[in-house]
Parts: sequence; structure tokens; C-alpha cells
Amino acid sequence: MDKEERKRTLRGEFLKGFITTNPLLVLMVGLCSALAISTRVENCIFMGLAVIFVLTCSNVIISLIRNFIPDQVRIPIYIVVIASFVTIVDLTLKTIPPVYERLGVWIPLIVVNCIILARAEGYASSAKVSHAFMDGLGIGLGYTVVLLIMSVFRELFGTGKIVLFNATIIDLHIKAVPVILIMFPGAFITFAMLSALLQWHQARRKPESKEGSG
Amino acid sequence: MIRHILNLGLRLFLVCAVAAVGLGLTYTLVKERIAEQEQKRKAEAADTVLAPLQAEAEEDLDLTASLQEDFPDLISVFEGKGAAGDVVGYAFVLKSKGYNFITMAVGVSTEGKVTGIKVVTNEETPGLGSVAAESEQFLGQYQGKGPDPLTLRVDVDAYSGATFTSRGINNGVNMALEIWNRLGAEV
Repeated sequence: MDKEERKRTLRGEFLKGFITTNPLLVLMVGLCSALAISTRVENCIFMGLAVIFVLTCSNVIISLIRNFIPDQVRIPIYIVVIASFVTIVDLTLKTIPPVYERLGVWIPLIVVNCIILARAEGYASSAKVSHAFMDGLGIGLGYTVVLLIMSVFRELFGTGKIVLFNATIIDLHIKAVPVILIMFPGAFITFAMLSALLQWHQARRKPESKEGSG
Repeated sequence: MIRHILNLGLRLFLVCAVAAVGLGLTYTLVKERIAEQEQKRKAEAADTVLAPLQAEAEEDLDLTASLQEDFPDLISVFEGKGAAGDVVGYAFVLKSKGYNFITMAVGVSTEGKVTGIKVVTNEETPGLGSVAAESEQFLGQYQGKGPDPLTLRVDVDAYSGATFTSRGINNGVNMALEIWNRLGAEV
């Protein structure tokens, strides 16, 4: 473990969340809420912030108390820690009613979002605090970036314009928009295309670098 | 063995206790702001729908409680007070089922005419139902209608592409008219 620990750099821990271990496109966890809320860019900004906050905080706390947690009850403890941070986010968002109404049930459901529990169990429970912090931040940002790409695509082409905080940012002025994009099938189509794009990009890079997937 | 179990329990308890204290603190910090926001949103919607009557909306808690027995989807009743302090209309904030739940305020004058509709929150399909729920053109049709129940496609046109949402809004308006009827019978 020592050897592995030394090889980990803060920068590397941060950056891996974007491509090599992107939670949505590579690990394919936490998809349910991502597919459901990526209809509007505005939703994704808040959802992304919520996930970054919960993921970073729970990673740090779990890493801090990793030697205090007995193995047999580690899962309940992770859940308690994660649920506490989710409740904090939930209560805070309730003071911004329009956002809360739209994200609705997806905020409480962050508790059982695989991304967070997987990072707690598979990473933070055996990593240094600083690494756990960077990991949470990186994975959270990786999640947010994918959400933003999906939602920009879906909102722009599904409704013909992008509305952020009651202001229309982009208006394509087209009447016949492919409405399917903002409905459920659109989520799958968009996600599959993005995932395929990343796979293709990775496959093209592989032969050149001897490391393979680092 | 027992010591081991006690040890596990104690550690679990400690974590939970710290979490509980932290959450309690957060809750006391935001509790008032949450209640404030709710209240503000309802009052704003009530004001909007009563605007044509130039009335000031005032929440009537007793009336709300007595009506809620028969109309469980009613959230609150506002009385529209005119310049002389007399009641010139009511605003009903209620829940109706479209594709999902729609919370809306419906203003009804004392003559039983709809004075305005404002959708407070909706969980309708973004881009389809949500457009209908915010459409002035669609909601404006209800202006001055009533007090008899309204039928879609007869009294008002449905919003094309959003049948469920149109139905939900129409049901909400009819519920408001029904409550108004009840109020008339009681007074």
C-alpha cells in the first residue's frame, strides 16, 4: 500500500475523475439521476454542486475517521455520514424554492447514489485525507462536466433555447425541435453517444502510449 | 465477545450522535427561512390572481382548515380585501394532478368568475407540460369564466401537445369553483 500511496499525486487524483475514472461515462454509476435531470442546464448546475459538496465532504470525513471505523459496521457509518451531508444540502436548497421544486426527489436520493458510496468504500476508506479530498473534488467535477454537456445538448436542441436563471442565453429560433431529446429516450441517446465518443477517443490514444489506461 | 459488540455499538453511536447534532444545528439555521419562502410564494401567487380585483390577499387559516376536510388538495385560502375592507374575491391555492402534481393559485371573484390563474410550481415534462402551465394564452382563457364547471375543448381550448397538463389545470379551476360554491352556500 505504501508504494501505491507514493505513486498517487494530488494532481493525478484530481484529474482522473474527468476521463479515466469518470463516474458517469467510464464507471457508469449514478446514472439514474443524471439521465433524469439533464433536461435543463440550470438543474445540472445545482445538482453538480450538490454532488461535489456531498462527495468531497463525505470523502474527507470518512478518510479522517478511517482508523476509528470498525470493519463490521463501516457501511452504516458511511451511510450516516453521507446522509448527513445530503440532508444539509436538502435543507439549504429548500430556501431556493424554484430549484428545489425541480430537483425534487433527486437531492435526497444522492444518499444512495452509487458514486458516493463507491468512493467512500473503495477509495476514501484507505486513502490519505488530502488524496480523498482531491478525489472527491475531481470525481464530482467529472460528474458535473458530463451533466453539463448532456444538458446543454438536450436543452438546446430539445427546446430550441437555453434558459438560465430566467434569462434566455441562447435562442436558436427554430420551431420544429426534436422534442424527443428532452424526454426519456433522449437521455439514453445522448448518454450513449457521449460514452461512445469517449471510448473512441480512449481507443485511439491507447496504441500510442505504452502505459495503457493509467 | 460482549466487549467487542459494545465497542462496535459505541462507535456507531458516536458517529450518529455527531451527525444528529450537526443536522439539528443546520435545521435551526434554515427553518425560518424555509417557512418564510413557502409563505411568500403562496402570498405572491394569491396577489397575482386577485390583481384584476385590485384586492389585497390575506390568508384565512380558519377557513382553510374547515375547507380542507372536504377538499384535501386545498393548500390555503386567501381572502381578497377591497379598498373598503370588504371581501371581493378569494384566491385558492391548491394541488391538481396533471402529468405530475401542479400547485396553482386560482382567483375567484365573489360573483364566481375566475379572475386569474397562476401556476406556483409544476413538475410537468419540461418543454411540453411546463410550457402550457406557464402559457399566458392558455391560462388567460379562463379569465371571467364560471361559476359553472368548465369543460376542456368546449369552454376552453386545451394546449396542444400537453393534454394531461391542460386537464390538470382545468380540474384545478373546477375545484376552485366548487370550493367557491361551497363558500356561497355557507355564507
